[in-house]
Amino acid sequence: MKDILKLSSILMLITTIAATALAAVYSVTKPRIELKKQEALNAAKSVALPGADLNAIYDVKGNDKVLYYSGYMDTTKSNLVGYAFLTSGRGYSSDIESIVGVDSTGNIIGIQVLSQTETPGLGTRIEEIRYGESLTWVQKQFIGKSAKNLAVDKDGGEIQSITGATISSRAVTNSIVAGYEDLLKQLKETN
Amino acid sequence: MSAFKEFSKGIYAENPVFKQALGLCPTLAVSNSVENGLGMGLAATFVLVCSNVIISLIRKSVPPKIRIPIYIVVIATFVTMIDLSMAGFFPALHKSLGIFVPLIVVNCIILGRAEAYAGKNNAGLSFLDGLGMGIGFTLALMLLGVIRELLGNGSLFGLPMLGAHFEPVLIMILPPGAFLTIGFVLGFFNWLENRRQNN
Amino acid sequence: MELKSLFIISIGSIFINNFIFARFLGICPYIGVSKQLDSAVGMGAAVTFVMTLASTVTWLIYNYLLAPIEANIFYKLFSLSAPPDLTFLKTIAFILVIASLVQFVEMVIQKTSPALYKSLGIYLPLITTNCAILGVSLLNIDENYLFIESIVNGLSAGIGFTIALVLMAGIREKLELADVPKSMRGIPIAFIMAGLMAIAFLGFSGLKL
Repeated sequence: MKDILKLSSILMLITTIAATALAAVYSVTKPRIELKKQEALNAAKSVALPGADLNAIYDVKGNDKVLYYSGYMDTTKSNLVGYAFLTSGRGYSSDIESIVGVDSTGNIIGIQVLSQTETPGLGTRIEEIRYGESLTWVQKQFIGKSAKNLAVDKDGGEIQSITGATISSRAVTNSIVAGYEDLLKQLKETN
Repeated sequence: MSAFKEFSKGIYAENPVFKQALGLCPTLAVSNSVENGLGMGLAATFVLVCSNVIISLIRKSVPPKIRIPIYIVVIATFVTMIDLSMAGFFPALHKSLGIFVPLIVVNCIILGRAEAYAGKNNAGLSFLDGLGMGIGFTLALMLLGVIRELLGNGSLFGLPMLGAHFEPVLIMILPPGAFLTIGFVLGFFNWLENRRQNN
Repeated sequence: MELKSLFIISIGSIFINNFIFARFLGICPYIGVSKQLDSAVGMGAAVTFVMTLASTVTWLIYNYLLAPIEANIFYKLFSLSAPPDLTFLKTIAFILVIASLVQFVEMVIQKTSPALYKSLGIYLPLITTNCAILGVSLLNIDENYLFIESIVNGLSAGIGFTIALVLMAGIREKLELADVPKSMRGIPIAFIMAGLMAIAFLGFSGLKL
C-alpha cells in the first residue's frame, strides 16, 4: 500500500512538471499560431479580391459569425470591388477550404485554396502552379467564370478536372457553387 | 572512438528503419515527398535527443516498476512542444504531416531507445545515441521520399526535375507506392548484407 | 440521417480509409503478428476492442476536460470566467489514458475469463504502442465527430484493421511454401504484398456515398 502511494506521487510529480512546462510553451506559441492564421487569411483576402484595398475589406457579420467579406477600392466605400466568401467541400482525403471572390454580377475575380491535405501530386495540384505556367489550377479554371453554373467536365460542365484527381476537382467546383448560393442568400438578408 | 561509434551506429549499422524495422508507420505515411520526410525526421530527432538526455539524467531516481509510464510522459511532453512550435513556425508543414506529429509519441524507435539505451547510459552517450538514431531515421525517410517523389511526381522538394515530358508514375505517391518502395529497399539492404557475409 | 451518417463513417473507416492500407496506422503489429491466421484473429479482436473503448473514453476526456467549451467540467467546477483551453494536453492525456486502459482491460480479462486471457492476453501489452489506437482517438477529434460517431469510427477502424491482418496472414501462410528470393524473404515480401493489396483497396476510393 505504501509502495503504491509512493509510486503514484512520483508519477503525479512528473506529470505536473510536464503539464507546467507545456503550459509555458503553449502560452508562448499560441499568439504566434493565431498571428500566422490571421496573416494567411489577410493574404488570401487580397488574392480573392484583387484591386481592393486591404484596409477596405470589411467583415460582414451575423450572429457573431463572419458571413462574407466586402471589398472596396478604398476606405470611402464608394467603389465596390466585390464580395469574398469562405467555402469548403469534402475532397478525397480532406476538407478542401477555399476563399472565393466574386464581383457584383457573380463573376469570379479571385480564388485561393486555404487548406487541404489531398494526395500530393494529385489532389494537391488544385493549388499548384504547373511547370511553365503562372496561375494555379483553381485560378486558371475559375477566374472570369460565373459562380452560378459550375460543374467539372465529367459532370457535363466546362471545368477541366485534373487527371487522376476528379474527386478533388469536383469538391472545389461544387463547394464554390454552394458557397455562392449562400452568399446570395446572405446578401439579401443583410441588405 | 567509442563515442563516435555510439553516434554512427544509428545511421547505418543499426539503422532504425532498415535494420530494425521500427517506426514504420510514419516512414510509410510521410515519405510521399522529400520535404515531408525531412520535416518528420527532424521533429522525431528533436524528440529522440531530448527524451534520451532527460531520461538518462533521471534514470537513477525512477522506480523500475513505473519507468514505462514516466518515459511516456517525458516523450509526450517533447512531442507536444514540437507540435506547438511547428504549428507556430511552419503551419503548412504541420498541416501536411497531420496526426503523424502527435503520433511521434508511439513511435517505437523513441520508447525503444529510452528502454534499451538511455535508461542504462550517461547523458552524453545518450545524446549521441539519440542524435545518431534520429539522423538514421531522417535519412531513411528522405531516401524513401526521394524515390517516391521523383518517380511519382517528377520533382524533388517540389521543384520539377525530370522535365515536362516525364509522365509521373502516380502509384508511387499513393499508399501502395509506399509499401512497394519500402519492400524493395529493405530487400536491397538484405541483399547487400548477404553479399557482405558471403565475401 | 443519423443512421446514414454512421453508415458512411463505418464504410469509410473499414474500406476507403482502411487504417493499414490508406492511413498507415498500426503497421508494426501488422507486419509482426500476421504470420499465422490464429494469432492474426486474436490480435485483430484485441485491437478492435481497445480501439472502441479508447474512442469512447478519449472523446469524453477531450470534450469534458480539455476543450474550451461550455461543457468543460473545470469551467463549472471552479466557476471560471471562461472555459479553459487545455487542448495542448491532448497528446499526453490520451496516451496515458490508453496505457492505463490497456492495463485495466488486461487485469479484468485475467480475473474474469482465463480462457479469453489466454487467447487475447499476450497481445494486450503490445497494444499501448500501437499507433492505430492513439491515431483513431486523435482522428475522432480532428474530424469533429459526435460521441456516437466516434464510437462507431473506433469500432469500424478496428474491423478494417482486423480484415487487413487476417487477409495478410492467410496469404503469408501460403507464402511459406513459395520460392521467394533470399533477400526478399520475411518483411520485404510482406510489404510488397501489402502494396498489392493496397492497390486493390484503392478501388474503394471510387465509392460514392
